[in-house]
Amino acid sequence: MPLPAKAFQRWLHGIAPDTSMADVCRLSQVKRTTLAQQLVRGKVAEATVVSISRAFNVSPVTSLAYFEVYRDLAGPLVPPTRQELVSQIATVDLLRAVIARTAPEEGGGGAEESTARPAESWELSPVPHATSVKNWVDAIDDGELRHRVSAATGIAPQNYSAQLTANRLAPEVAIATSRAAGVGLAGGLVATGLITEAEAGWAAGARRAALDGLSDGELTALAGDRLQTLGKALRRQEHDQEQTEKIWENLG
Amino acid sequence: MIEILQWTTLVACAAATLSRIPNLVRKKNRSLFYIFALMTVATLLSIKAPYLAIDGMLGNTNVANLLLRFIIFGAIYFLGMRIAKGFGDVHGLQFIRGRAGTVVLGLISLALLILFALMDSEGSSVGMMDVYAKDERNRLLVEYYGAAGRAYPAYVCLAILPAMLRAAGSTLPAMLRISALLLAVGGIAITLSLLFPVIPPALGYLTFIINYTAILCFVFGLMLIWLAKAMARRKVPEHIRKPAGT
Repeated sequence: MPLPAKAFQRWLHGIAPDTSMADVCRLSQVKRTTLAQQLVRGKVAEATVVSISRAFNVSPVTSLAYFEVYRDLAGPLVPPTRQELVSQIATVDLLRAVIARTAPEEGGGGAEESTARPAESWELSPVPHATSVKNWVDAIDDGELRHRVSAATGIAPQNYSAQLTANRLAPEVAIATSRAAGVGLAGGLVATGLITEAEAGWAAGARRAALDGLSDGELTALAGDRLQTLGKALRRQEHDQEQTEKIWENLG
Repeated sequence: MIEILQWTTLVACAAATLSRIPNLVRKKNRSLFYIFALMTVATLLSIKAPYLAIDGMLGNTNVANLLLRFIIFGAIYFLGMRIAKGFGDVHGLQFIRGRAGTVVLGLISLALLILFALMDSEGSSVGMMDVYAKDERNRLLVEYYGAAGRAYPAYVCLAILPAMLRAAGSTLPAMLRISALLLAVGGIAITLSLLFPVIPPALGYLTFIINYTAILCFVFGLMLIWLAKAMARRKVPEHIRKPAGT
């Protein structure tokens, strides 16, 4: 649910009282036409508030908390669970970790960032990754989470699933999901890419630490699950592509 | 109102036919051109003025109506086959082209010819309304004749309907799913036309609406597929694989 324009104006006046709208747009890289349109419609996107906050060195989470819908973000930031952290590691990075751990030269030295082969000091790719939203929800799901979110927000379960599959989640639904799962409220905003790990109060290197904390068995099983899901998605894509080609060939 | 629907359908069919000319010249999916051309002629023959003109040339015995039935059969046969092939519907294809399909088509065609020969078809009139009004015997014959004429299209549509509904609910690109839905709606409309004999005369306009809805759905569904293809070809083929492992 986007933010009401009136509240947005008040908030903007609070953080940048003497800045013209043109300057706000220039500094925050928000397109003027986009912002104008959002204001005319009376609904300002959360992403706009986040961009402007960054431009004025204000915490995006605090900014969002200014608005009625996101009031709950004002509380102290709860650190992410280990499952959440791991869910935000891209599948390729998990595979890399599997390879790094099983590489014969290393023998499981445990030293982070330094691997046997010199050119291969690798960084985790940034959040969000290609399936970060779905992986995040799966990571905090106790089996009943989807029902609770559906009941709390009124979103039909199939629409919720569709959003997850598309790797999207509306910010207020992301927060409702966190609340229903009893984890830190900002986690979903990280998974959807609205805010960064640091902005959500996740410690630097927390994901790496969580990854290193996984046993070989856990890591391999997790990577296997991810690969299987990815394989299914790719196969479906290929099947759809074939089907589409066939339709065009016969009816196009 | 019904006139508007009729002429709109005719224009849509004619436009679809014309739009297939470039592909006809390039020898790509030429059967689609013939399908649309047949549908255009069929629509033309179901409108009063052109029907009277054409049947007049054929001797005022409503032979044009018989012709119309077989044109529809031809169009629906090729259309059903194309659609079943395109959507990878093996069962549908089997039902249309296999032995069952041939037997159904043969029997219905035979019935159509016999019923036509039995009736006193003198005197041009659209939908053979005047023949229908002649006497009890002709009324019955026209009724059966009409039912036979609707039976084959309904058969073909039922054959491909499951695949269309499946495709509409699948993960295919949105435009193709909309096309599949339109084709399904057209198929349902044609199947519903089997119920025409039980529609009370007061609701007679329903038959027109059902008929032309069917044709319009088919035409727009097919044009949408064609449009989706044209649009996709213009875009750079994007094969972005999920793990961007760089």
